[in-house]
Amino acid sequence: MTELERDLRALRLDWPETPDVASRLELRPRRRLLVPALAFAVILAVAAAFAVPQSRSAILRFFHLRGVTVERVGTLPRAEERPLAAGLGSAIDDARAKIVLGGPFLPAAHGTLYERDGIVSTLLPGPVLLSEFGAPEYLKKFVTSNVEWVKVAPNVQGLWIAGEPHVVFFPGASPRLAGNVLVFATGTRTVRLEGHDLARDDALAKAREILGTAAG
Amino acid sequence: MGAVEGRPLDEERELVRRARRGDERAFEQLVRMHQETAFRVAYLISGSEAEDAVQDGVIKAWRALGRFRSDAPFRPWLLRIVANEARNRRRSMGRRAALTLRAEREDVSGGAAPSPETAVLAAEERTRLLAALDALPDDARLALACRYLLELDEAETAAALGVRRGTVKSRVSRALDRLRESYD
Repeated sequence: MTELERDLRALRLDWPETPDVASRLELRPRRRLLVPALAFAVILAVAAAFAVPQSRSAILRFFHLRGVTVERVGTLPRAEERPLAAGLGSAIDDARAKIVLGGPFLPAAHGTLYERDGIVSTLLPGPVLLSEFGAPEYLKKFVTSNVEWVKVAPNVQGLWIAGEPHVVFFPGASPRLAGNVLVFATGTRTVRLEGHDLARDDALAKAREILGTAAG
Repeated sequence: MGAVEGRPLDEERELVRRARRGDERAFEQLVRMHQETAFRVAYLISGSEAEDAVQDGVIKAWRALGRFRSDAPFRPWLLRIVANEARNRRRSMGRRAALTLRAEREDVSGGAAPSPETAVLAAEERTRLLAALDALPDDARLALACRYLLELDEAETAAALGVRRGTVKSRVSRALDRLRESYD
């Protein structure tokens, strides 16, 4: 061993504390429940297929809507409850939002915009968190709550997730509990509305306003 | 850092055998034995994403345990999965992980003499060496960190680097040359 190798071995580093992952594992049995779990997923997918006309694409999109993957699970992963406004990133102007999203933030009239890892957000009254992003497979959601397909506008389907809190994984952030959520896609954009007291009709009305298809 | 933290391989094999049959407690024990090394490897690759990388990697390992050869050592297999997960997360970050590795402070207040190893290098030298190591390209830095800071063996280093075992020696050798150039 050379002197340099000895010096390297003698380095003692101040490592970050190791998280006790083993104590936090929530493992699902691999074999025993595999068949029932699959059957449950198929039942949900078939239910979704009946809920919307295009059966095959509906089954696929049930679990994957543009930038969002929704996985139905028996037990939620551990997650923190954090305020909607936490971790939104840095305040940005409209020009920066346009670059990040590949087009202007919707709707054109909005409050302060924040950006973090490609997700542009703003807080609406309620409070409701409106987030938009362009990248594929950006968010992961794990739900035990109700999930249903909703018609946001002609040719625009959305997912309405409500009831029990679900867990959302934003890139670069630890998982957090989320309230009621409407997710839909328009063009290459994925749009997400979230609020603990967000009602389905209010979410749909807001979504239509964002799309510029609001009645009247 | 020993291969199985000082535990006999027989014990590890027994835990693997039980975990493969679906024993969750046995798998948790296996994870507990190796989570520090797994976390540090993930930290070297992905920085602040390390905890999530380990968490997701461990879940993937649990799901894939049926495909694990029970006579093979568990740690390289786990490290490969966790390191892959860390690399994926780093790619999605689109930038090099910002590390905050610092040399450990020598505790002189307890009155005990410093160990022979820590006494070898003065504090400034350690800081300078660490800075030179941190300035290396990712592959070189990770290879040296695995071999000398984490004291992984070749198989484990290969798993962490995502390369064949035969590649480890040459990569470490080249990395040492580069480090020598900047450190000396």
